[in-house]
Amino acid sequence: MDIVLDALGTMMAPATAAFALAAIGLNFHFGLTGLLNMGHAGFMLLGMYGYGISTQHGAPIWMALIIAIIAATIFGLLLGWPTLKLRGDYLAIATISAAELVRYLGRSNTLQGLTGGSTGIRGNDFKFTFEELSPLPDENITILFWTNHGTKSSSWWLMIVAWVFVALFALLFWQLARSPWGRVLKGIREDEDAVRSLGKNVYSYKMQALVLGGVIGALGGVIWALGASVQPDSMGRPTTFWLWTILLLGGAATVFGPILGSMIFWMSLVIIKGLASAFIPSSVLSPVEIEPFSLVLVGIALMCLVIFRPQGILGNKRELAFND
Amino acid sequence: MTNIIDRRVLMRALIVLVVAAAASIAFGAWGSPAVASTVDTAVAHASAVSSETVATAPQVDTITQTAVEPDEEIGTNRYVQQFINGIVFGLLLALASVGLSLIYGTTGLSNFAHGEQVSLGAMLTFFFATQQPVSLPFVPVEFTIGWPLIPSALAAIALAAGTGWLQDKFLWSPLRRRKVSIVQQMIVSIGLSLAMLNFIQWWFGAERRRISTSIDTRIDMGVFTIGQTTLWSVAIAIICLAAVAYFLLRTRTGRATRAVSDNPALASASGIRVEKVVRLVWIMATGLAAVGGILLALYDNAAAFDVGARLLLLMFAAVTLGGLGQAFGALVGSLVIGVAVEMSTLWLGTDLKYAVALGILILVLLVRPQGILGRAERVG
Repeated sequence: MDIVLDALGTMMAPATAAFALAAIGLNFHFGLTGLLNMGHAGFMLLGMYGYGISTQHGAPIWMALIIAIIAATIFGLLLGWPTLKLRGDYLAIATISAAELVRYLGRSNTLQGLTGGSTGIRGNDFKFTFEELSPLPDENITILFWTNHGTKSSSWWLMIVAWVFVALFALLFWQLARSPWGRVLKGIREDEDAVRSLGKNVYSYKMQALVLGGVIGALGGVIWALGASVQPDSMGRPTTFWLWTILLLGGAATVFGPILGSMIFWMSLVIIKGLASAFIPSSVLSPVEIEPFSLVLVGIALMCLVIFRPQGILGNKRELAFND
Repeated sequence: MTNIIDRRVLMRALIVLVVAAAASIAFGAWGSPAVASTVDTAVAHASAVSSETVATAPQVDTITQTAVEPDEEIGTNRYVQQFINGIVFGLLLALASVGLSLIYGTTGLSNFAHGEQVSLGAMLTFFFATQQPVSLPFVPVEFTIGWPLIPSALAAIALAAGTGWLQDKFLWSPLRRRKVSIVQQMIVSIGLSLAMLNFIQWWFGAERRRISTSIDTRIDMGVFTIGQTTLWSVAIAIICLAAVAYFLLRTRTGRATRAVSDNPALASASGIRVEKVVRLVWIMATGLAAVGGILLALYDNAAAFDVGARLLLLMFAAVTLGGLGQAFGALVGSLVIGVAVEMSTLWLGTDLKYAVALGILILVLLVRPQGILGRAERVG
């Protein structure tokens, strides 16, 4: 019973919302435009740094958010400039390298004064502007079976804000995907040359999609940081791969795919860990080994998904960006 | 591809290498006033970093060695020393990236799981060679194997090459037959890399493992010093790479491999059994990666489960720099990346040395996406 409650609690947690939001950003890249962005964690990390560092230096919350957005925009522009004219797998290699470059720079001792090196920025140093806005009382609140703090860290307040953000951007995706702009992006996904022959500037459209998706990813990063802390190593390559699993699980190019994928992903991690520690004796699978064991399953799930059901749970097989 | 083109390609490779070497030495001389302070900070970084995570530990050891030694022994030149270290690192990296490049050339797949093949080689050697009790995942029985280093390494290489065969037989070959697109295959390889990385961590734990307990004696060569084990590693690496070159240039199957790289459809039409060539390439690539992993673990004194994962992007940088799919390009690219990575520690913090390689990769994509040795073709 505990496992079920834990799993349902995880489903609503701010971290789940943060990954859903980042996956919506990735959905603009991959689902809509067919860009193979393998460096989405880099966008998230830049958002986290932009927000955290500017708050540390006394910026109000709206300014910190704008700085996070600007950081992601600049990163997207810099990244897209050399790579968007190249073939898909070049883009993948370039984005994954750029994201790692951001992480290496962030955790280097050279920038310790700014980014806090590999320990990152502690939660207390940048969460206060957000927590001051909370209308909820400053104490633990129990709703049904779940007890969370009202305002601090992974709180009810953060949960509400996070899911409102997710809802807003899902709405934005829905509206943009059926707008003329979204149809051009889908056209690029299906056949770039055909769209080019209609006189559209493919490069510019791809760049817009890359920047917009990246900004949404950065906001996802901010929400993640508000629930945890700014830690460069939490945004390494595995994070990007998890986002891909989430997106492909839920279904690329769908409105609710990223949200459903994120919920199922985090829930099943909790369930696997719970079941493994309950039923497999610790001589066979020690507590330290449960984490890598569950991630092995994630990897295998990603492989099976791509091979057997590339459209995911909600997706439409005809709307697939795997056409290269 | 005729011999004339090969010679031209090799000449270009040589020129690029010489220019890169000259540039890095020239930069070294130019930046010399700043060096004294950077070495101090490098040592400080190294000690600061070592207390933090396992992830950064492997590079720290080598750097403290190289950074401290010039102060002790007068007559060694830091630039030459780092340049030699770079060449060594580049050669070991080349073992892994040549395989990556061969796979890309013959199948078009950017194999993101190649880094784990490197870790697998190192960790399997540890598994056979260590005197500590080891166990298999899911099997709660501990036992000690404790073979000497060389048989363990050979067994590890054989097993790793076996995983290449298994992978191609049961995963990639069926995918190719089902005409699964290249992008999908790439994401499958990402899933495989995630699974293998965590599997290796699950099996061997997150600690750094030493595969050889002997202490490396360093030989003084006048302007630089080099470890004895390292010399052996370099010799083995050069022999392996020369064997690959001989195979590709002189043997019938090697020519067939290059033909498949060039144009699979045409190769198939002229009677080459493409599937067989690809199978062989997978076995070679994974075997070479394992050799690279073992030698790197000896060079770095120890290896952790994620040693290959951190090298993967360096391999991609090397392969892209040399021209995707060009085996000799991967060799040159690896040497350039190796030298750049090691020389950069003279000016930048050691924790930024991999960042340099990634910076080079992005620059190459900007200026010359087909790489140094690649043919100018439309890649967009």
